[in-house]
Amino acid sequence: MAENAKTGINERIRPVEKFNFFQDQRVRSIFYQLITLSIVGWLGWYLFTNTTENLAARGMSTGFSFLSSVAGFDSDFKLVEYTPGIGTYGDIFIIGALNTLYISFLAIIVSTIFGFVIGVMRLSNNWLVSKVTLAYIEIFRNIPLLIQIVFWYIGVFSLLPVVRKTLDISFGSEMLLLNNRGLYMATPVFGALFWVTALAFVVAVIAVLIMRHKAHNTQDTSGEQTPILLRSILILTALPGITFVLTGSPLSWDMPVLEGFNFVGGTTLPPSFLALLLALSIYHSAQIAESVRAGVLSVSRGQHDAAMAIGLKPGRVMALVIIPQAMPAIVPPMISQWMNTVKNSSLAIAIGYADIVSLFMQTGLNQAGHAVEMVGMTMAFYMFISLSISWLLNIYNKRVQLVER
Amino acid sequence: MAIITLNKTPARHAPLSETSMLGWMRKSLFSSWFNGALTVFTLYIIYLTLEGVYVWGFADATLIADNRRACYDNSLTGACWAGVIDWMDNIFYGRYPREEIWRVNLGGLLLILWMAPMWMRKVKGKIWIGVTVVTLYPFLAGYLFAGGDKGLFMQLMVAAALVAVPANLINMLLGLFKEHSLGQALQSFVAKFSRDEKVQRNLMLALVALSLMIAFVYQSQWQEEVVSWTKWGGLFLTLSIAGIGIACSLPGGIILALGRRSKLPIIRILSTGFIEIFRSVPLITVLFMATTMFPLFMPEGFVLNKLTQVIIAVCLFNACYMAETVRGGLQAIPKGQYEGAHTIGLGYWGTMGFVIMPQALKYMIPNIVGSFIGLLKDTTLVSIIGLFDILGMLRSISRDVPWLGLHKEPLIFGAIVFFIICFSMSKYSRHLEEKLATGNKN
Repeated sequence: MAENAKTGINERIRPVEKFNFFQDQRVRSIFYQLITLSIVGWLGWYLFTNTTENLAARGMSTGFSFLSSVAGFDSDFKLVEYTPGIGTYGDIFIIGALNTLYISFLAIIVSTIFGFVIGVMRLSNNWLVSKVTLAYIEIFRNIPLLIQIVFWYIGVFSLLPVVRKTLDISFGSEMLLLNNRGLYMATPVFGALFWVTALAFVVAVIAVLIMRHKAHNTQDTSGEQTPILLRSILILTALPGITFVLTGSPLSWDMPVLEGFNFVGGTTLPPSFLALLLALSIYHSAQIAESVRAGVLSVSRGQHDAAMAIGLKPGRVMALVIIPQAMPAIVPPMISQWMNTVKNSSLAIAIGYADIVSLFMQTGLNQAGHAVEMVGMTMAFYMFISLSISWLLNIYNKRVQLVER
Repeated sequence: MAIITLNKTPARHAPLSETSMLGWMRKSLFSSWFNGALTVFTLYIIYLTLEGVYVWGFADATLIADNRRACYDNSLTGACWAGVIDWMDNIFYGRYPREEIWRVNLGGLLLILWMAPMWMRKVKGKIWIGVTVVTLYPFLAGYLFAGGDKGLFMQLMVAAALVAVPANLINMLLGLFKEHSLGQALQSFVAKFSRDEKVQRNLMLALVALSLMIAFVYQSQWQEEVVSWTKWGGLFLTLSIAGIGIACSLPGGIILALGRRSKLPIIRILSTGFIEIFRSVPLITVLFMATTMFPLFMPEGFVLNKLTQVIIAVCLFNACYMAETVRGGLQAIPKGQYEGAHTIGLGYWGTMGFVIMPQALKYMIPNIVGSFIGLLKDTTLVSIIGLFDILGMLRSISRDVPWLGLHKEPLIFGAIVFFIICFSMSKYSRHLEEKLATGNKN
């Protein structure tokens, strides 16, 4: 700015601009940039030549061809088919990536719901509830996540009863079984005609949406409220339920059954998975609760008072007036917490859950030894996820900006 | 018709619901039947939790025992704190030689002494205290902890630090009792000899040089036994890594943040790329990069030890987070400040150094404390790649033969230690935030 003003005065006094090579700002800026670029370029080249020399000296190959070579180790938790000795390192990468995404996704959902509930409870006008949630938030925010993960794993899930004394946590139906080898769940097996029930459910959802829309319209035009909650629940349960019975109950359960020394059938979630999920959910729910609280407090007190004055009940004040206005302040920190959840799921390595870091970057690296490529691929994976999430955040921010003045 | 009295009507008492304990309880605990039920339910949960913690951690706990079996003999349901107590030295100092532990304690004490004047209202020259604690203290402490032979650079830095320690102390005392700084005291001292400003300045420089020389000669005689980094451990190692991390990341973060806000496109793109790359990956991948890829980056025959690798990784990683903190602080400075600085003819570095940064740093202090807390918690990750920080030590208790399988108690103890450190720091940063915020409004 000052420079512009200065040249402006100079021009008036001296119309011909003198070009002084050493004093000119443009020359200087190009010079600085060239220096920076050459230093960075030299550093990059130096590291690159060193690396290639070192790799050559140790007789290590480079390139990504190792991805199609066969991996000889197994993963104790996988979402896709894989057999050690047949599957490749590429498969290992995919298994690890999916496992990371799977646990992060679940942890994000659980921690967001918990975080909202706790954040709102923190603002409760009940003194005791508010203080208890404060204690929860402060305790779990100030203890390193790694200690929490290890504690849940070694201190809780590994100390569960042995297989012989398995706990049944589904009230005697034996569909959810918990022991020190993990959580055994019954998996639904869909019969041939199950699609009819699914279709009925979709129809029910559409019907409820239409009803909701109509109720809103009525309220907007006449101010009359139509109670639709009970009716919606009825439609949502009855329609698919009746179809299900009429088509001959095309659903059975693949139950976990004790065979020999272990359970067979159903789905198994290893203790490391449960410990990581629990620790991530608790830790990040405390963080999200803080951002929810801060967001709600950012809404001016007058909004609350006005809503109370027109006779809304406290619960509705929160749901209809405060929370919608607090959302623009809550969502950005919450999304960055989601990003942190994905990144923190890498701590799985401490307890051996087969995520991308522990499966691909540790076990895989120890076996195949392509340090540069494997660490690079893992970092690229996380970068991709982070960029996607911040892209999501940008879209949200743009939408909010349009709504706001 | 108006009724007029000359006597002022006395103010009524506040309603009982506002003043009495019962009124408070009614308002904040039992305002509705739902709230009442919630209160009773919460009380019940608190009772269950506290009772469980009390019985396990205090009533049935074993404090003194020789091994885990003895703990079980004492009680089956209680905690076995004996293992933690037995390992206490290891938890705090790692395998640092027991007869040399005073060095670690002295280092900690020096840091406290060095930093303490920052919290004293009357002491002057706090900027210098801050600068020396970041630039000189690490070298003194580093030598104190590691020992061995010093290189020339190390000797110079240690000598400077040895000058800074008494200077800081004198400055503190002068500030407390006379309310002026060491610099002012020196100035009035040299003014007695000559009126000429040039002579005064030369005298001051000579004084500083003389004290540096004395310190240099003194430190060349000072020799401590080598303690290899493999013996460092426990909370001491955790705090060291976090401390070095924060000290390195501050200048690094400032440079990166300035680069990101620069008008020069190449510098901006490079800084932004660097910051975003490190911010989008987890710390554990950066640590792995450090331990597996740094050896490949270095020229043949040049070997970094693991601790150095980890420290470099932590510094790089944290500098990028610090850059974002600094950027936030810079954005909080109104544009008028930049324009004002330009108007009085300051260039880029003058504007940044004299006008923008001093203000921005003030805004940033709470966030810097926040990122230090984050860094401290993240430092536990170094146990994964095989350093024996506090978590590594806590986990090796369960592998020690007398305490085989003792997992829960050490972890809970570690959690308590971290909670105390992090919670008090975050409380302090919140207090700072409030203090600085009110300072700004006026």
